[in-house]
Formats: sequence, C-alpha cells, structure tokens
Amino acid sequence: MRNSSVFRLAGLSALLTLLSLALLTVCGGAVFAAEPPAKLNLYIWSEYIDPEIISSFEKKFNCKVTVDLYEDNESMMAKLAGGGSSLYDIIVPSDYVVPVLVKRDLIQTLNKSHIPNLKNVDPQFASPPFDPGNAYTAPYQWGTVGLYVRRKPGQQIDESWSLVYDAKKQPGPFVMIDSMRESMSSALKLMGHSVNDTDPEHLKKARDMLIEAKGRSVGFDGGVGGKNKVLSKVANMAIVYNGDAVRGMSEDEETYYFVPKEGGEIWLDSMAIPSKAPHKDLAEKFINYILEPDVGAQLSDFNQYATPNKAAKEKVNPDDLKNPAIYPSAEIMAKLEFLHDLGDKTKLFDEIWTQVKS
Amino acid sequence: MKRNGPILSLTSILLYCFMYTPIVVVAIFSFNASKYGVAWKGFTTKWYGVLFNNEQALRAAENTLILASASAAIATLLGTLLGYGLSRYWFPRKKFVATLMYVPVVIPDILMAVALLMFYGLMRDALGIFELGLSTMIFAHITFQIAFVAVVVKARMVGMDPALEEAARDLGANRWNVFWRITFPLMFPGIMSGALLAFTLSLDDFVVSFFTSGPGSTTLPILIYSSVKRGITPDINALSTLMVCASVLLVAGVTALQPRKNYHEK
Repeated sequence: MRNSSVFRLAGLSALLTLLSLALLTVCGGAVFAAEPPAKLNLYIWSEYIDPEIISSFEKKFNCKVTVDLYEDNESMMAKLAGGGSSLYDIIVPSDYVVPVLVKRDLIQTLNKSHIPNLKNVDPQFASPPFDPGNAYTAPYQWGTVGLYVRRKPGQQIDESWSLVYDAKKQPGPFVMIDSMRESMSSALKLMGHSVNDTDPEHLKKARDMLIEAKGRSVGFDGGVGGKNKVLSKVANMAIVYNGDAVRGMSEDEETYYFVPKEGGEIWLDSMAIPSKAPHKDLAEKFINYILEPDVGAQLSDFNQYATPNKAAKEKVNPDDLKNPAIYPSAEIMAKLEFLHDLGDKTKLFDEIWTQVKS
Repeated sequence: MKRNGPILSLTSILLYCFMYTPIVVVAIFSFNASKYGVAWKGFTTKWYGVLFNNEQALRAAENTLILASASAAIATLLGTLLGYGLSRYWFPRKKFVATLMYVPVVIPDILMAVALLMFYGLMRDALGIFELGLSTMIFAHITFQIAFVAVVVKARMVGMDPALEEAARDLGANRWNVFWRITFPLMFPGIMSGALLAFTLSLDDFVVSFFTSGPGSTTLPILIYSSVKRGITPDINALSTLMVCASVLLVAGVTALQPRKNYHEK
C-alpha cells in the first residue's frame, strides 16, 4: 500500500511536470505567433545604440525591434553557438572575433546589393584585415587604446608609451590595462614594432617591460576601472579605451586622453548577421539604415565613438570631430594598426600574459 | 548565560559592515548627480525618474518577476512532492535518488547553464521545441530550484513528530484528512521557506539565465551585468536599490506571516 501511493505520487508529479511543460510551450508558441510578423532581434553591447535610432527604424519599417545585451565577445559567441544563431538577426562583434565567427559558421555573408549604403564607408575602414572585402561585416564604430592622464593646468606631457615603461618619466601612480593584446601592443609599439609582431625576442623584451612596469603600477584594471581610478585620484594615469576616457573627460576637465606618438592599436566593431538569422531581410535593412549619413552621425553623437562612415562624419557634432580623443590626428592615424588573429602564435602571447600576471 | 566578549562583538560588527557597505554605497550613488563618475556631484533623485522611463529596464523587471514567480511556483510544487516522498516512503534505489537530489545544489552554475544550453539545442534540432526564451529560462530555473525546495521540505519533515500523524489515523482520519489536516500544516513553514528560497534564487541568478535566455527575455541580473563593463549608469544603481528594498520587504513580510512557534514545539 505504501509502495503503490509512492507510485501514484510519482505519477502525479510526472503528469504535472508534463502538463506545465506543455502549457509553457503552447503559451510560448502562442505569444510568438500573435506578434506582428516584422521583427528584428538585435544583440548588442550596452549603451551602444541611441534608443531614438531604434524607434525611428521601427516607425520607418513598421516593425518591432528587440534589443538584448551582452557584455563580452566570448559570451556572445557561446550564446550564438548554443542556438542563438537562429534567434538573433544582428550582432555587433569586435574585430578580432570576426574570423572566429566565420570559422565556426556563426555568421553569414552579406548580400551587398541589399546594402547600397556600404558605399558611404570610409575607404580606411572598408575591407578591414579581419574581413577582407567586407564579405561578412559592415563597420559600426571605431576607436583607439591610449593613455588617460591627469595633468595640472599648463603642465607639458611627453605623449609617449615611455610614461608607462620608463621609471624616470612615470607621472605618479598608474593603472595597467587588464587585457593581453592591449598591454602587449603598448610595449611593442614603444620598441617600434608592430602590434602583431611575433618575433620571440621582441616578445620576451615586451614581457620584461610589462613585468617591470607592473611592479611600479597600482595594478591591472579594465578600461572603466582604470578611468575611475584616475577620476578618484587613486592614480594619475591609466591605459584605457578612448570611449572610457571621453566619458571621464566630461566629468573632470583636468584629465585628458591621447594615443602616444609611437602609435597603437585601432579597434573596429562591426555589424554582422548570424548564420540562421530569422529575419534576414530586415537585418539587411537595419545595416543599411545605420549606414545612412544622418543615422550614422546620430549614432556617433550618442556614443561619442568615431564613425567609420565617411558620409556621416560630415554631419557629426563638430566638437566631437575636433576632439583628438575621438578622432586622432592624421599623423597618429597613420601609426595605428588593427590587431590580427595570430593563429598558433596566440599561445606565445598567452604564456607571456600568464607570466606577467602571476 | 555567558556574556559575549568584546572580540565577538567587534567581529560581528566588522562582518556586517563588510556585507552591507557595498549595498549602502550603491544606494548612495543612486542619488549622485554625476553620470559616469565616482566623485560626488550633489544630491538628485532624477535617476529614479530616468529609470521609470527606461523601457528596457522595466521590461527586464517584468521578465524577472514572471520568471521568478512561475519557476518558484512549479518548483515548490514538485520539490514539496519530492521532499515528502523521500522522507515518508521507501522505494528501490531511494538512497541513490536522495543523493542525486544534491547534484543541482552543488554543481557549479556555469556547468549547469552550458549543459542546459546544449540540451535545449539538441531538443530543438530533434523535436523543434525549446526555442530559447522565457519558457526555457523557467525550465532551467525549476531544475535547480526543485532540489533546494526538496532539501528544505525534507529537513522540515524530519523534525516532525510521526506520533501526530499516527494519533490522527488512530482516531479514524483517512489518509487524505491526515495529510491536509495534520501533515500539510506542519510542513507549511518548510514549504514557504522553500518557495522563498526558490524565488530569491531565481531573482538573482545570472549565469543560468544568461545562457538560456532568448530575444526579449532579458532579466534584471543580465541587464545589470551587461552594463557593468561600459560603466554603470546611475539609473542602474537606482534599480539595484529598489531591488534590495523589495527583497528586504519580501523577507520581512514572510517572516511576519510565519507563526512564531508550532504547537508541537511548545
């Protein structure tokens, strides 16, 4: 008797589970079916698109845009691989992950005849090394990595990476950036090498420089953390992404940002369509819309990141255009390099980075 | 009774400071006029206004509540049945089942999340169900909540005097009556704490939610986490403050509702 009621209970709970399961699936299905057909699922970094661009796009194409957020390229990629590639219509990956996305078949080639506004793209950003011929991506926003420094009025600063790597020039406490390639780039550039250099001797030298500088620094931090330490006067200098610096400069006028005269790396975020995107047509329209001159300018005015859109650049807020933290001088531009995927050699960088951090 | 020494008091104070200072800081910064900064630029309540016009945050709050209540309700039902069955009945391999129950409790979140993501992917390919979204998140949360509820309910059952049920049956009550008149009321505090635990687990889960969510099912933890790296905007601080207040109220409410002592413990 005891046994039989156990089975009754077990049966009951199994039934309940199945019922609730069926209910949820049906409800889920019904909700999806009831939505209007035109939908666009956008998967993007936080604070990276003006909500007004979304609403004007919705109005123009009579659709509903759903915005979901991710915080790093790696989790976005994991999500796509786990089924997200058939859920999202647009993603905004950083340059170095694009080859990986292509290799893993997570994004699809662009049908350029549906995206005529690709002609607006600045030749400098068309056909980037991570995606030759823009087969898979269209550029979204770009920026740099440099030094964010607190200076007293009238103080002259030698704008060089040696502020980090030369103990005599160190302007007080400083923060290093907690990112492998960015750190290596700064040391390699000071030595006059490419950010994609893989010569073991050069890398060893860069490692020693990083370890030496680490000993004098107040530690490693992400871009936002470094900026906050300069703002709160825990440090006088930090290696940061330019976007973080621009936000910091609006808080405190004694701080400013520059790309050191030796040059550095340039980054470019792009728009791409996942391989099994459910609303491909609308996704192409969205990319085309972002590449419109007016929309591109609106986007950059909102983000305070630089636009890779030549036609939009003319319409961008002139104050931002003059701001060297957003648009570096032509002289500096010539010394900026994209990070390349280093293939097998990435191992070398990983090893060095482990030694530096330990 | 021995009086507590000064060292114990000091340790307790430090411990509470350690636990609550970050929350207090977040609350204070939700009133800071500065947008990205760490510096204090004056008192303002405008971020709460900004928050209530932030459609994304409101939708995330709605999703979070739907997810937490739906999953907690189902998990409480199933977990209670499991806890009841495990403590009242014998069946083959019972020990094994009881041990298995602890797996979701001790397994790292990330493992569970990735396993669920892969499972959903497999099911989608094979059967075309489990499209990522709020429903897959609810299932995922139920999977780990059941174990917690069952553990709490089982612990409650262990502390119950079986003589009470025996007496009721002795006096002529049938099984149904015994369960609803005697067993269930005694279990109830356990069920409530199980439900509350399930609810809060769901409320602040990030890892499992992130991996099992689909378009439009962003919850508050996902929203907050994805704002961290670009620099937290103060309306997120405002949101977190409100969430803390809501949790405190919830816990206080449940504590107030619970009977202080059960008669058999008198």
